[in-house]
Amino acid sequence: MMPYYKFDYFSFDFSLVVAFIIGIGFGFALERGGFGNARILAAQFYFYNMRVLKVMFTAIITAMLGLFYFSWIGWLDLSLIYLTDTYILPQIIGGLLLGIGFVIGGYCPGTSVVSASTGRYDGMMYLAGMFFGIFVFGEIFPLIESFYNSTPMGRITLPEFLGLSHGMIVFLVVLMALGAFAAAEWSEKVMTKKLGREKE
Amino acid sequence: MKCPVEKLSLNKRLALITLLLGIIALFIGNPNNKNTIKVNAKELALSTIKDQDKISVLQLAEWIIEGRSDFTLVDLRNEKLFNKYSIPSAVNIPVENLLDSDLMRNEKILLFGDDDITSAQAWFILKSANYKNVYILKGGLNEWKDKILYPKLSENATAEEKNNFEKVKQISLHFGGTPQIVSGTTTNVIQNVQTPSAPKIVQPPAGNLKNVPKKKREGC
Repeated sequence: MMPYYKFDYFSFDFSLVVAFIIGIGFGFALERGGFGNARILAAQFYFYNMRVLKVMFTAIITAMLGLFYFSWIGWLDLSLIYLTDTYILPQIIGGLLLGIGFVIGGYCPGTSVVSASTGRYDGMMYLAGMFFGIFVFGEIFPLIESFYNSTPMGRITLPEFLGLSHGMIVFLVVLMALGAFAAAEWSEKVMTKKLGREKE
Repeated sequence: MKCPVEKLSLNKRLALITLLLGIIALFIGNPNNKNTIKVNAKELALSTIKDQDKISVLQLAEWIIEGRSDFTLVDLRNEKLFNKYSIPSAVNIPVENLLDSDLMRNEKILLFGDDDITSAQAWFILKSANYKNVYILKGGLNEWKDKILYPKLSENATAEEKNNFEKVKQISLHFGGTPQIVSGTTTNVIQNVQTPSAPKIVQPPAGNLKNVPKKKREGC
């Protein structure tokens, strides 16, 4: 029964090895997806290359359907999967900051590591900036701590929050993804023509 | 004639499969319900008979003195009673909060209440929720008080009983208890005097016992 670590199939030490292997695989998949290139990532925000949206949504619905059906079959105990607590207001602000950084720098934290490890200078600079940001955050943390912990909602999931069944959420997200794929294809066609540039 | 699916591109076929899975999910509803649990009744019954899941108070006292930290001692009583007195290093998790607590399914959990009843019920809840290593403190806090805090030895005890009592006495004194020797109607309270024949007990500073190792953080 999954998750294996929670059911004690392996120790904490071995879980680090597993995490390392999964991490390598994740980085490899990101790089092969083209996520090591800031131009492709930033193109997302100008709607002429929607590869990021397509890859991310594919990953999301694959993982979602996998988790849903595994737990239905009985291979997985969903209630044991770790969830971060929700602090709605600080997380909205944090999300916006991350988005701004994403547009400016062309990377999100994970892809900047991928890019840096493939030898791109912009990725390395981004990584350095990220560590500087973490340092600044740590230094000013006492000042923003009360905001950081404000509007707590606990470990809440969409089915609980909306009062819908898991299956309904799965269905809606699938519809959303398929809609997004269609919209992405369409916007790529339109924007490429409008901007007069080739697909990268 | 070709089947219409064959005309579709790979992407569209995948999209079709996804859509189908999404629609089926709609009918499945909730894949697992947290409040209904599957129980392996036979396994539970067997471990109850074998008494494997019970730890004696003496055993626990030795563990605490040795400074073992590979188990979590859980006081199931309410907060008020917990604040009044509890066994050193215990954490307070009332029964109703058990499943919402931070206890990990693979850690060793030792439960106690005033007696065996609450802890037996809590044991069943945790076991059926797939917690692997759950133990009960035999006799609960009442037995802890009888055997560790206020152990008694009757005046006309056999030599063997007296011998055993020496060890218990040391343990009791470690936990700030008052061992007593009962003779007829009078009881003699033993003060903290070291007897040469007593087994040596390595005593960690009592304050250290409260330092339960911090939970490792999960997630990114």
